[in-house]
Amino acid sequence: MKKGKRPVGKILMVLSIAFFYLPILYMIVFSFNDGKSLTAFTGFSLRWYGHMLETGGMLEALYTTFSVALIAAFIATVVGTFSAIGLSKSRKLIRDLMKQVDNLPMMNPEIVTAIGLMLLFITFRVEKGYITMLLAHIAFCIPYVILSVMPKIRSLDRDLADAAMDLGATPWQALIKVIIPQIMPGIVSGALIAFTMSVDDFIISYFVTGGGVKNLSIMVYTMSRRINPSINAASTLMIVIITVILVLINVAPAIAMKKRKKENGIRGYFVPAAVACACVAGLVISIRFGSVSERRPFEGEVLHIYNWGEYTGENIIADFEEYTGAKVVMENFESNEQMYIKVANGEAYDILVPSDYMIQRLIEEGYLQKLDHSMLDCMDKLADAVKGLPYDTQNEYSIPYFWGTVGIVYDKNKVDIETLEQEGYNIFLNQKYRGDIYLYDSERDCFMMALKALGYSMNTENQEELNRAYEWLLQCVQTMRAEIVTDEIIDNMAQGRRALGLMYSGDAAYVMTENENMGFYLPESGTNLWSDAMVIPKNAKNPELAHLFINFACDFDGAYDNSSYVGYTSANQEVMDVLSGTGGDFEGIEAYIPRSGYELDEVFVYNEKTRKDISTMWSRVKIAASNAN
Amino acid sequence: MKKFSQMAIPYIIWSMLMLVLPMALIALYSITQPGNSIISFSVTLDHYIKFFTDPDFLIILWRSLMIALKTTMICLALGYPIAYYISHCEERTQNNLVFCVTIPMWINMLVRTYAWIGLLSEGGLIQRFLGILGLGNSELLYTEGAVLLGMVYNFLPFMILQINTTLCKMDGSLLEAAADLGANPIQTFRRVTLPLSLPGVINGITLVFLPAVSSFFIPKLLGGGKYFLIGNVIENQFITVGEWNFGSAISMIIAAIMMLLMMCVHKVEKHNRGEKE
Repeated sequence: MKKGKRPVGKILMVLSIAFFYLPILYMIVFSFNDGKSLTAFTGFSLRWYGHMLETGGMLEALYTTFSVALIAAFIATVVGTFSAIGLSKSRKLIRDLMKQVDNLPMMNPEIVTAIGLMLLFITFRVEKGYITMLLAHIAFCIPYVILSVMPKIRSLDRDLADAAMDLGATPWQALIKVIIPQIMPGIVSGALIAFTMSVDDFIISYFVTGGGVKNLSIMVYTMSRRINPSINAASTLMIVIITVILVLINVAPAIAMKKRKKENGIRGYFVPAAVACACVAGLVISIRFGSVSERRPFEGEVLHIYNWGEYTGENIIADFEEYTGAKVVMENFESNEQMYIKVANGEAYDILVPSDYMIQRLIEEGYLQKLDHSMLDCMDKLADAVKGLPYDTQNEYSIPYFWGTVGIVYDKNKVDIETLEQEGYNIFLNQKYRGDIYLYDSERDCFMMALKALGYSMNTENQEELNRAYEWLLQCVQTMRAEIVTDEIIDNMAQGRRALGLMYSGDAAYVMTENENMGFYLPESGTNLWSDAMVIPKNAKNPELAHLFINFACDFDGAYDNSSYVGYTSANQEVMDVLSGTGGDFEGIEAYIPRSGYELDEVFVYNEKTRKDISTMWSRVKIAASNAN
Repeated sequence: MKKFSQMAIPYIIWSMLMLVLPMALIALYSITQPGNSIISFSVTLDHYIKFFTDPDFLIILWRSLMIALKTTMICLALGYPIAYYISHCEERTQNNLVFCVTIPMWINMLVRTYAWIGLLSEGGLIQRFLGILGLGNSELLYTEGAVLLGMVYNFLPFMILQINTTLCKMDGSLLEAAADLGANPIQTFRRVTLPLSLPGVINGITLVFLPAVSSFFIPKLLGGGKYFLIGNVIENQFITVGEWNFGSAISMIIAAIMMLLMMCVHKVEKHNRGEKE
């Protein structure tokens, strides 16, 4: 085979290498970007690395990723090796049976394995968290170790161990001194595979984790909707760590071999593997202790918050930790329903930040505890418009966090305000803007738009009206090439990529500060007047600290940090005034101050029956949309 | 020697608990109604009937299978020549190239997929590049094409490595023998190389098709909110809708389909091998 040149193969090879590395390089480059954009490089800066260090959660996630991988790979390797040796001496029936069992995690779709483990932990009431994640990783790593050790054992001379024992070795000595060294290459590659599988895993970790424990992939998944270049920074850090490990493993044996040629190769694996492990362990420890360095009065206590993604300011969490000494574990959700399921399944949080109708549901179903108003000093600071709303008239259970409306963000250059005023929500059916509109993936708010466009109440229980709204939405997605998006709408509208988008007022405020060509319009047919509020579940582990946090978040500094960073309207009256006043971040941005006192605006009411209908119809609208495009 | 076999006992117990029991639980959930306790439950097939009588779910299932099929074919079409090229390099280069293909697999799948968002988004590098080529500035991110790209990107290394392993193991003297017997390179490839590399191809197909069918984060990250695959439906049932019994039923269905497909593939492989011998 000396067909010197293979141009096709060579070109494909080069292209595929470029294909593999381009995104990785792109990500590394943009982790040093000064601006927030993922498409325009505006200058070199370490800003996002700083942000990553400040937010803590990211280092925590990196630590989890690597510590789980190390421990899981280690345990899986030890257990897998001994089990493989044991199995090889077992009866054929057991051996064949176990081979089938081992195949389960490899031949099953990963999501099925993940769900099985999740159901297992829930059925046996194991609290989901770091330990469950570790157990799951060990479970799916062992079969890979066995798979890689088994062939080496099979190729081993059967009489080797017997010979050793004849010469006076105990079985244990025979095992350690004779068998293990012989199968070392298999063990090492098994350990490497286990480590890779663990670092690479997302699906299984995602389903079995809990209590705010997340590895890097879960972090990226829950944060990927809005551009946050610190994800790039954390990922780059991970890539660097991985590359260092890989280089050590691959280059060091060669060097070690050269140094002492006479020794056999097995030692060559040990040294670099040990060095690599030590490096990772050192990094892990430094990350661990780097992040918790100071000792404070509330030291050791933990506050679990379950909040929307990207819904807190840059400093509030760090400030609260410094103020109390407690540690804040923040978990994010994408929808009220997602949060509800976790809470209903008994996961313990100290603070939740659900929306109006969901608070009503949680109160009705008895998941919340009454707030102790003697511990709260925030009621006077709140804006009148968000106090005593229908879902909790006395604020017995909830303290508002952010509030706002839902409206239409439009490009002033493409959309005429008069058309918009004339057509209201029906502009989303206007063929002139075909392929130029975004819908927000929220069943509540899209049905609100359709119902309001048709002149109905958004809380209607009338099946006929709901059906009409469903048809309105179907028409919209089928004839308008509407795109249904979630938080990516924010950056895309800020870049002016669509003429029209249905958006929350807070996101609209952010879009308008980024792009002056964008306007915000609230149709005359009314809108959803929503509010998200902090509540404490009954099973909270630390209600005292939770009350303290509620005060902290309502206080001027905390509320200012939240509102100025996120762009949503603060429940704190003073913050609202300052931010919308002269010189404030949102001066002249009409979307920042929600419309109040307009009779057609409504607050969502929870209704079990319509919720199910709307949910089913919305999933059909989405399927129709994906079939229409 | 008997003593050694006892070392497997802890693992046998562990694997029953951590590998077999979870599957049994999914099966149990899939045939019961919510609210039943472990002690008292009534068996029902409603969840399966619901899935197979609703055209929406069947469309999504079909779409998932199709995109997985497309992914597998593209990976095979790209992966085979690349693996072939690698296996015919000098040993040193070979190792380096395999190393190059392996590195991305060490970096978390989700991170790698996320990296594409910036590249594909509007005004991003790829769109500008296509613009220069005069291919217009059509939408890239949040399309089926983006999902397909993400899948090929994630799973291509599996295909390359599997095929490469079998090609490297192949006895070089067989090729020489074929050439000596007067076969031209194309004949040699068709009659010798291809059949011998088939096990690698089959393994590669398994390793690509299986995760592609059930993937849910690639469609979610690159396909946007409107692109649903069967994995997203399962995730949705467990994470946002909360109908675990129905979600378990879909999981069982997808696991069964996979099992059947894999059995077929291995049958075909065995059949082929039988013919050759």
